[in-house]
Amino acid sequence: MALFLLVCICTESLFAQSLAGIAVHGFVTQGFLFSSSNNYLTMESSDGSVRWTDGAVNVTDSFADKLRVGIQLHMYQLGQLGGAHLLIDWASGDYRFNDHFGIRAGKVKTPLGLFNDSQDVDAVFLWILLPQGAYPIDNEGFFLSQWGGEVYGGVPVGGRGGKLLYRAYAGHASLDLHGGYIKELADYGLAFTSAPGGLIYGGDLRWETPLRGLTFGSSALVDTLDGSAPGGSVHVPPSFVNAEYAQFSRGKFYFAGEYRRQPTLSTVTIGPMAFSNPVDERVWYAMGSYRVTEKIQLGSYYSHFLDKAGYMGQPGDYSKDWVVSGRYDFNAHFYGKIEDHFLHGNGIGFYDSTNPNGLTPNSRMLAAKIGFSF
Amino acid sequence: MSQTRWLILLLGLAHCWCAASAQDVVLVANKGVQISQISNADLRAIFMGEKTRFADGSRAVPVTLKGGAVHEVFLKNHLDESPGEFRAQWRKEVFTGQGAMPKAFDSESALIEYVAATPGAVGYVSRISPQDKVKCLVAIK
Repeated sequence: MALFLLVCICTESLFAQSLAGIAVHGFVTQGFLFSSSNNYLTMESSDGSVRWTDGAVNVTDSFADKLRVGIQLHMYQLGQLGGAHLLIDWASGDYRFNDHFGIRAGKVKTPLGLFNDSQDVDAVFLWILLPQGAYPIDNEGFFLSQWGGEVYGGVPVGGRGGKLLYRAYAGHASLDLHGGYIKELADYGLAFTSAPGGLIYGGDLRWETPLRGLTFGSSALVDTLDGSAPGGSVHVPPSFVNAEYAQFSRGKFYFAGEYRRQPTLSTVTIGPMAFSNPVDERVWYAMGSYRVTEKIQLGSYYSHFLDKAGYMGQPGDYSKDWVVSGRYDFNAHFYGKIEDHFLHGNGIGFYDSTNPNGLTPNSRMLAAKIGFSF
Repeated sequence: MSQTRWLILLLGLAHCWCAASAQDVVLVANKGVQISQISNADLRAIFMGEKTRFADGSRAVPVTLKGGAVHEVFLKNHLDESPGEFRAQWRKEVFTGQGAMPKAFDSESALIEYVAATPGAVGYVSRISPQDKVKCLVAIK
């Protein structure tokens, strides 16, 4: 909360400054979560929690006609995750040879599905929480960006066939040392002091069809993960993740859907014991929204997650979430959101350490957020 | 008719030609821009960051007003976007490191001054006067 107020005050005179080609932008949000029973996302949400603050600031400069460089620093607090640790969200040089081909190098956002590279930019979404099976807010760090490079561009499809946009990348990604996976491993007695990471490569291809606003796309990536901690290690061999998606945006209406599959076989070693953990995550969601006025937007989505590997039909194997959301833009910089979640299952987002008495199979959550961006 | 009257008439005609109708805006560009007309598809691509070049291959530098009726009319008529959608799209580009938001101005006079001084600059205003050192572009469907 203090961070939110501080950034709002400090940036009032900074409003998207542009000094001789240098542009400065930023955002800060403050959230509130109240759940009917289980504690969610490491927050004491069943009592109501405001431990949910997020902020970022970026600086970009166009050195030359085709060259742009920039960096974005990010800090967040989500329950027991995050904290006073400044993260580099992205930091890259971008050379755009022409409108069909460009390259980026440095720390570059990873495209996967519809929202992966923008999932931490609250200001662009109606939703407070994106479908958590595909975009888990407590574990967004690993897929969010990678140190390496990417090529990108767009080519027209015939005369009237729309446009194909492509991105392909390779680099090194690492877990957020203060994120959810690391916390879970720490709860099992494996306390990492340096972030596990590994090679990641993949691409995204999306077709902007001749029907304006209608887009189809497909993403794929391969990732590996290795890390050592005092007393143990974690190892994930190359895993293939794929996502197929579609969206339609026209006038006041927005519709989107995505399917993702993410099989992983991780091995965690603690002392002399080695545990294999096969996971086969299948996720899909469908969402729609309507802009009632320029300031008011309403929408809903259904998100479906299940772990097919060893599926026993237990609440811990799945998560089905019905969501209703509303957003009000006070002006071009300030906005507020409210969201109701009807959760069935507890397969994602719940931690043993904040639910010592176990979990109920179903829960309901109310989330609210205010945000400021410039 | 004296030369002065001819001059006034010509200037008046030029003014009328570049003045916005009640439902539209005047597209203005730096005088070094070689094209004289531009399709709405190209305008949209340039202002949404998808294209960085005009049809003749020269560099395009889009600039906008920060808000107001003229801004809204331009977005609606030429980009088919609302201010909120336009802002959200650019926020996504800016905060994911994929683009730099067009420079935005509080007033039309500041925008015209910038366009006049910046090679490749293109923007919009409600009207221009003969003294403005910019050229008008005609938008075609």
